[in-house]
Amino acid sequence: MIPRQFLITTTILFALTLGMSVYVWQLRRHEIATPRPPNRVEHVAPPTSGPMEQVTVYVAYDDPGELRAQSISIPIASGRQQRAEGLLQALVGIYTAKGSTHPLTAGAEIRQVFLVDPGMAVIDLNSAFVDGQVSGVLAEELTIASLVQTLATNVPALTRVKILVDGKERETLAGHVDLSGFYDVQQIAELVKQLSPQ
Amino acid sequence: MRWNKKNGGGWVSRCGLAGAVLLFGAIGLIRAQTTPATSTTTPSSANPAPSTQPPPAQPQPPSIATPKPLVMIDPAHGGSESGAVLNPLILEKDVTLALARRLRLDLGTRGFTAELVRDSDVNLSTDDRAAKANAAHPVLYVCLHATSETGGLRVYTAMLGEGKDGHGPFADWETAQFPSLAASRAAQQEITTAIQKSGISARALPAPLRPLNNVISPAVAIELGPSKADVSQLVSADYLQTVSAALANGITQVLSASGTTSGMSR
Repeated sequence: MIPRQFLITTTILFALTLGMSVYVWQLRRHEIATPRPPNRVEHVAPPTSGPMEQVTVYVAYDDPGELRAQSISIPIASGRQQRAEGLLQALVGIYTAKGSTHPLTAGAEIRQVFLVDPGMAVIDLNSAFVDGQVSGVLAEELTIASLVQTLATNVPALTRVKILVDGKERETLAGHVDLSGFYDVQQIAELVKQLSPQ
Repeated sequence: MRWNKKNGGGWVSRCGLAGAVLLFGAIGLIRAQTTPATSTTTPSSANPAPSTQPPPAQPQPPSIATPKPLVMIDPAHGGSESGAVLNPLILEKDVTLALARRLRLDLGTRGFTAELVRDSDVNLSTDDRAAKANAAHPVLYVCLHATSETGGLRVYTAMLGEGKDGHGPFADWETAQFPSLAASRAAQQEITTAIQKSGISARALPAPLRPLNNVISPAVAIELGPSKADVSQLVSADYLQTVSAALANGITQVLSASGTTSGMSR
C-alpha cells in the first residue's frame, strides 16, 4: 500500500510541474508575439574631453587630386586597436564635415579596425561609406590611399591592410578600385608620393 | 603457348617485307614531291635553256603577310553595370563605348588593327575582359573609364610590387601583368606626353584597378574627365574626337618607339 504522505507530495509536485510548464509556454508565446528591435551596432563616440595626442592624417583633395598630410588632435585611447579606430574615425569625420575636400555622406563610418599580428590591419567600413563614395578611379584611389597611409603612419610595423564593407569582402570600393586583395603598405607609400603636392 | 618457329618466322618475314615496301613507298613519295622544285633549277644551271624558250621563273621567297599590330580597346563597364552615373542622363558605360569606337577608327587610319572587348551594351566581368585580351595577344591593351571629376585625362598602369614574377611557365593570374610592367609604364609616359601635347591636361599614376593586373600584354587604363566643370563635355563629339586623336597619336608613338613588336608581345 502506498503511504498517504507520498501520494500528497507526488500530487503537489505534479501540479507544480504542470503549472510551470503552462507559465513557460505563455512566456514563449508572448516573446514570439512581441516584435524585437533589430540588432544595431552602436558606436561609442570618442570622449571629447581628456588628454589628447597629435597625429598625422592624410587628407584627400578631389580638386587637384592630391593627398596632403595634416596634423590633428585625437583623444588618447587605452589600446592600440582603439587608437587605430579613433584615428580613422577622426579622418572620416573630416570627410563627412560640411565643405569637405573629399566629401562622404553623413552616415559614413569606420565600423571597426582589427590589428592582426604580424603587421596586418583590417578596416571594416559601413555600407553608407561606400554608397556615398564618388565613383571614379582617382576618387576611389584617394580614399584608399588616405585610409591606408594614415593608419600606416600611426601604427608601427604595419605591412598590409585589408578593407571590408559591413564585415564582408567586396570586389570594388565604388565600381573601380579593387578591394579583393590586400594593400601593401609600401606600394601605397609610393603612390602617396605621386599623389602629394609637387 | 610456345613460339612456333615456322609460323612465327613467316609472319615476321611478311611484316618485314610490308614495312620495307611502306618505307620505300614513303621515300618515293617524298622524292616525287621535291623533284619539281629541283627540276626547275637543275636544268637551268647544268644545261642552259635554249634562247627560244622563256627564261625560267626566278624562285620567289614565300610571301608572308605581316599582320597589323593589334591594339585591344576595353570600354569599361556595360550592361547592368553602368559604372559611374556622371549625371542623370550620362552613364560611364556609354561614354567609354563612344570613345572606344572613335579610337578604333583613329587607330585604323594609322595602320593598326583595333578590336573592342565589347562593342555593345553587355555585361563582362573583369576576368572575362582579361581573358579576352590575353587570348588575342595584343601589342597594347587600353582600358577606358570616365569620371565627372575635372582634370582631363589620367593614365594608369597596374599597381604591382617588385619581385612578383610568375611561377615558371605559368603566369600568376593576380600578377600576370608583372613581366610587361616596364613596357606598360613606358607606354603610359608616351601616351601622357601625347595627350599633354594636344592641349589636354594628363597625369600618370599607378592604380589598383582590375583587370590591369591580369593582362599579360602591356596594359594601360585611361580615365577621361572633363577639362572644365561641365560633365556634358564627355558626350561632346568635338571633345571625344580631340581625346581620341591624342590617344591614337600616343599609341602610335608607343608602338613606333618599341619597333611595334620588338619590346611588346605578339
